[in-house]
Amino acid sequence: MPMRNLHTEILVIGGGVTGVGVAWDAALRGFDVILVERRDLAHGTSGRFHGLLHSGGRYVVKDPVSARECIHENRILRHTHAPCIEDTGGFFVVTPEDAQSDYPDRFVQACAQTGVPCEEIPPAQALREEPRLNPAISRVFRVPDASIDGFQLVHLTAQAAREAGARIFTYHSVQDLVLTQDGGGPRVVAARVHDTVGDETLLIHADLIINAAGAWSGRIAGMAGCQVEIVPGKGIMMATAHRLVNTVINRCKWPSDGDILVPAHTVSIIGTTDTPVADPEDLRIEAWEVAKMMEEGEKLIPGFRHARILRAWAGVRPLYKAKEAASDRDISRQFALLNHRTRDGVAGLITITGGKLTTFRLMAEKTVDLAAQELGPRRACATASTPVAPSQKDLYWLGHRLREVEDHHLQHELICECELVTRGMLEQAVRNNPTVTLDDLRRDVRLGMGPCQGGFCTYRAVGVIHELQTGEGLVPDTENAPWQVDRLTSPGQTPSSPTSFPRQAHTTSPLYNPNLLLRDFLQERWKGVIPILWGQQLKQEQLDRLIYLTLLNADHLPDPHLKSPLTDFYHATASLATPSSDPD
Amino acid sequence: MPSDLLIIGAGLAGLMAGIHAAQQGLRPRIIATGFGATHWTAGTIDVLGYLPGDPEPVHHPFQAVPQLLAQRPQHPYGLVGVPALRRALQHFQELTTTLGLPYGGGRNPHTNFLLPSPLGAPRPTFLAPVAQRAGDMTREEPYLIVGFRGMRDFYPTLMAENLTRQGHEARAIFLPLDLITPQQDNTPLHLARALDREAVAMRLAQALKSHIQPGERVGLPAILGLERHQQVWGLMQEILAAPIFEIPTLPPSVPGIRLTRALRRHLERDLQVPVDLGMTVMDFHAQAARVQWVRTRASARPLKHRAQAFLLATGGFLGGGFTSDTRGRAWETVFHLPLTIPQDRGQWFRPDFLAAEGHPIFRGGLRADAEMRPVDTTGRVVYENVRLAGDLFTDSDPLAERSLEGVALATAWVAVHGLKFA
Repeated sequence: MPMRNLHTEILVIGGGVTGVGVAWDAALRGFDVILVERRDLAHGTSGRFHGLLHSGGRYVVKDPVSARECIHENRILRHTHAPCIEDTGGFFVVTPEDAQSDYPDRFVQACAQTGVPCEEIPPAQALREEPRLNPAISRVFRVPDASIDGFQLVHLTAQAAREAGARIFTYHSVQDLVLTQDGGGPRVVAARVHDTVGDETLLIHADLIINAAGAWSGRIAGMAGCQVEIVPGKGIMMATAHRLVNTVINRCKWPSDGDILVPAHTVSIIGTTDTPVADPEDLRIEAWEVAKMMEEGEKLIPGFRHARILRAWAGVRPLYKAKEAASDRDISRQFALLNHRTRDGVAGLITITGGKLTTFRLMAEKTVDLAAQELGPRRACATASTPVAPSQKDLYWLGHRLREVEDHHLQHELICECELVTRGMLEQAVRNNPTVTLDDLRRDVRLGMGPCQGGFCTYRAVGVIHELQTGEGLVPDTENAPWQVDRLTSPGQTPSSPTSFPRQAHTTSPLYNPNLLLRDFLQERWKGVIPILWGQQLKQEQLDRLIYLTLLNADHLPDPHLKSPLTDFYHATASLATPSSDPD
Repeated sequence: MPSDLLIIGAGLAGLMAGIHAAQQGLRPRIIATGFGATHWTAGTIDVLGYLPGDPEPVHHPFQAVPQLLAQRPQHPYGLVGVPALRRALQHFQELTTTLGLPYGGGRNPHTNFLLPSPLGAPRPTFLAPVAQRAGDMTREEPYLIVGFRGMRDFYPTLMAENLTRQGHEARAIFLPLDLITPQQDNTPLHLARALDREAVAMRLAQALKSHIQPGERVGLPAILGLERHQQVWGLMQEILAAPIFEIPTLPPSVPGIRLTRALRRHLERDLQVPVDLGMTVMDFHAQAARVQWVRTRASARPLKHRAQAFLLATGGFLGGGFTSDTRGRAWETVFHLPLTIPQDRGQWFRPDFLAAEGHPIFRGGLRADAEMRPVDTTGRVVYENVRLAGDLFTDSDPLAERSLEGVALATAWVAVHGLKFA
């Protein structure tokens, strides 16, 4: 079979927030862009963080450059990405443990120097706003932190990029880069890419390749013979069963483990740790990390150690180690933009790495500025003034889904009661988005993210998908899907007409076997609950076992050994906690 | 007035223990936080569906008990013995027939039979409500699986496809939900209640009639009536002139609720056994290896309950009989009896959710002697007047083994029949 060839000006590698930001910026400026992501969008670090849109407060003392960037971008994103952001505000609180430190005074001074708005409020007022806060806090500072949904951020930015002409291919993994020798030296001219779903290999020719593979960017650069040292820094997060706070709560101290609690949708997320790992896919969660979060959470919210925890997960920060950095600790959270032509003598390749989710737009702007130098100038950067979802101008509000469900009387449509996901939303996501697994639907609509962790909705969602497949011959089409992601989070949207959708006949692919979809999602949910199963959540898990074992007999479905290329990921990272040793 | 026997737990084990005790002439009383797992299960009596680590279903559950005991020597089936298990099953079958909710087995009354799960997977079970029996996967008739548009707890095309994949002839159709009710937001329980009305059942049968091809058996979600289930099912078979069978759905489980209601009514009306829910045990008092009283938390004030004997049927982690904490401690919640669960979360789970061996934590539990009295590691009886029944025992994982109801019936039978009062 001849290899398919595609041509583009810019090929972006990586479908995290950095990659889609670059694709969006470049497409808006008039470049021809293709983006490839080896799994689903936001499958990596962009979908595995605590959900903080930084005010910059966490960096003012340690890294003032990052702090300035954060507050600048924070203001822009509230306009360009409003539906992804909930304006929770943030507190920096001084707990009794930190009361003797000079950090709070340095913090105030550094906020003033970096331009991060910071207002000291009386602890009594903070306690009125957040009654669960530790009443022994001595000082509280208010900053413009916010909560941001990483999945939606990436998907909406990708949709905006597509609307500006970019082509985005998910489940396409880069196998190697093709180099030629032109007059001046080596040049990267193409990438060999494997389409996991269609099981074919593509050759994508590009004038310039932008490596935005995050924690994996060292590997991509290595394919061109360039050394980029990334130290993947693993951080763990845990979600509580409800929102314990409505404001982002930070400890006012030198940033460290377990010092932040972020309200995100119906839960609160505590984070995080920072452990260097050799492999960015080594996302195992250790018992000490879980114990640490429970212990540190207690200092912010008394009683936190008894909170019901729904899930734990880990993400890896792509920490870039500059050649001159002496130790891992000197690694900055600032981003690194590397032109391999000037740095390594390899033309046609740029790496953008490091940085933070909050500053992704700025990173993309600088990257595409460099691309424009290499490829010739185009239109000016427009991302700072272009909303990604022009029809949705308002910031996210927690009651949004419930209001729509009640206004439209959609209670009977709820497939996932925990997260208020309606059948219409699922159908919309399957029809309009490149959906391959139920985990993709989770990122699209929050399926299975609530207290039952998929207990009821996994079976229902597989049933719905199966009805769509058999009734309409509908299978996910990663290339031609219309991608209306801005409508996915809205239970009140009526599903678009099925006739408008291009149909494909891949039904023979094992990827769409409903039994495999079901098993893979059950396993995906399982790997995130193992570290935190005790108390109520353990009881919940027994109900889920009752449903899937005794009622549905899901462990004895046809095709028990069927696997897809996407299956292994859920098994490889499932981990067992090791003995816990926290003193009570 | 103190009862002879205070039963803690109102699942299948607790309710059956109450019936046995009353039939023995005792004055039992049942208290519980709420109903048991029966409200969630398929409503069948699963005795032993799978042996640990073996993906093949068990054909003859009584003959498989020695193999089970070779792997799980302290399993409750070893404590009660097969004859008691069989007697308990026979008693249950007779009782439910008397109560107008008859249960039956497959074509061979001594073996398991396979009923299709809502996903179309073969569930090995021993007794089922008679309205489920025509689903038997050893029978040849083609399946017509009937779903309702807008019912979110049942997916007929998926079930039919999986039946087809296993070599059965099966097809699916949808009927409109408003045949049953104009209400949109429904659980299976709402639909079952609506079908208790004869006119509604007739309307459904009439609408279904033209879809059935000769020789087909017809599977419907388990919504065929709640209080008038046998009549509704009979009416459907009569009008449709085809074997009709019910398929269990996601919780709430209508077949399980029917069973609970029948047993509770029998206890309260026929046997004058009080069943009080909303009572969670807070603490207890023991003297000389005998429990004197338990105290419950209730809405008004704590209540002390004295009895000559206590039967614990609180149902492991699922029922709230066991709980655990972040540090990997797990304990029995009423009498703080010693559990065999490793006090180390690192040893609780396997990496694969559906691992055929099950997860170590879920086969831990309480040790007991042949009279169902709790014993410690040395085999010494902890409390002489406490008995155990249901999903509480070490060396058993009833959800993985598909033995939840068999264990409940057999242990309740033995626990009560062994009681001796001065």
